[in-house]
Amino acid sequence: MKFLCVLCDTQMKLEETTGPVEGSLSVSFACPSCAYRIALLTNPWETQLVRALDVKIGGRSSPAEPWEFVRTMLAARREGALEGAGDVATPEEGAGPRCPFSAVANRAAEAASLTWDPSAEERLERVPDFIRPMARQGIERFAVERGYTRITEEVIDEVRGTLGF
Amino acid sequence: MKTYWDIVGDGGSNVAAQVEAQTARLRGRMAHVRRKVAVVSGKGGVGKSTVTANLAVALAMDGLRIGVLDADVNGPSMAKLLGVRGRPLQAGPDGILPPEGPMGIKVVSMDLLLASDKTPVAWHGPAQQESFMWRGMMEANTLREFLADTAWGELDLLLADLPPGTDRISHLTGLLPDLTGCLVVTVPSEISHLIVKKAVSAVRDARWASALGLVENMGRFTCKHCGAPEAMFPGGDTRAMATAMGIPFLGSIDFDPRLAAASDRGVPFVMSHPDTPAGEALTRIARTTLGWVEGV
Repeated sequence: MKFLCVLCDTQMKLEETTGPVEGSLSVSFACPSCAYRIALLTNPWETQLVRALDVKIGGRSSPAEPWEFVRTMLAARREGALEGAGDVATPEEGAGPRCPFSAVANRAAEAASLTWDPSAEERLERVPDFIRPMARQGIERFAVERGYTRITEEVIDEVRGTLGF
Repeated sequence: MKTYWDIVGDGGSNVAAQVEAQTARLRGRMAHVRRKVAVVSGKGGVGKSTVTANLAVALAMDGLRIGVLDADVNGPSMAKLLGVRGRPLQAGPDGILPPEGPMGIKVVSMDLLLASDKTPVAWHGPAQQESFMWRGMMEANTLREFLADTAWGELDLLLADLPPGTDRISHLTGLLPDLTGCLVVTVPSEISHLIVKKAVSAVRDARWASALGLVENMGRFTCKHCGAPEAMFPGGDTRAMATAMGIPFLGSIDFDPRLAAASDRGVPFVMSHPDTPAGEALTRIARTTLGWVEGV
């Protein structure tokens, strides 16, 4: 993906990468000619796709550690499976220079601990395909923020009442 | 106004260079591996992984330096079959040192990392329900790291045991573009033959391996009462299918319940029962395969 300042017909340059915050990564670009700035904001699924590619937005500051990707991305690993390896920030361990996506993973871990009642799942199925992932994320975020561990029809009603879904 | 192709570079992330660095790492590692052979099957349950493990051991017994990549990320079995399950991986200056199985066979499998018998492979992500969208990329990158970051050392042969089916073949075609050979394992049943043809076509369509060969598993069994060999499955003529598809038939392995028992114990059958019909067939197929890939 490349960004062009249409007024100057000049390629915009990456300035800053921040986040992710709640799964969204913010990447700022500026036009070197007129200094016009824009920001690319990803949703959690776009962020995850970038992670799955095993490339770093903004470039790498150091060479990859052996098996860095699998060590970082595997959700549950056997203790002591890998001896003598340097630390690679796992998502649970928080943000670090090699793992700029910890917030996404932390949210994922929280969401993974939620259970959906079949009736709630059924309600979600009625949401149109193209916005269903976003609706699911919104409901799960709402539940996590309130300390709920189960998503029921009542929770969905509460989300509708609060957020106007 | 400029188009995408008028602009050089990607504005700062240099993704192309990151991917090139990954590729260079993989290429450098694989330069020390003389031959690479993938083992595939169209159908699950045909004994592909058992065949892979025993071929690896038979060739190692002949003095070859062998590595085994368990490319079945979600259903890994090579660590169990080669008796290295639960053994730790070691980080060394040249990469991750894999555990060594019988005859010094180096084994890399997702099973070595999983938390318990019951732990499935799960990835961090925004929601597991939508993981089908990115799971394939996770698996492909895992295999790339297994190949590129493992201290395989100098190998005469690397055997890659793929999951059943044709959908994951594409994960390895990009990673091992110079694959020497591809072994296709089947049982002599019509249903297995039907699906194996698709696997052969998938490998051919991808122009992946220099050569394809067919191995029949569970061809016959010996009646324990009269000692006569009998067909395990009705109907399927694997040799005829190989001829019809224009690929070499590399041999048939008799069904032997002791082979399954040895696999469960992590003891290679070719070592524990070398003089049985199945043991002899595995050794013969291993040597035929070696001659076949050496001739490619």
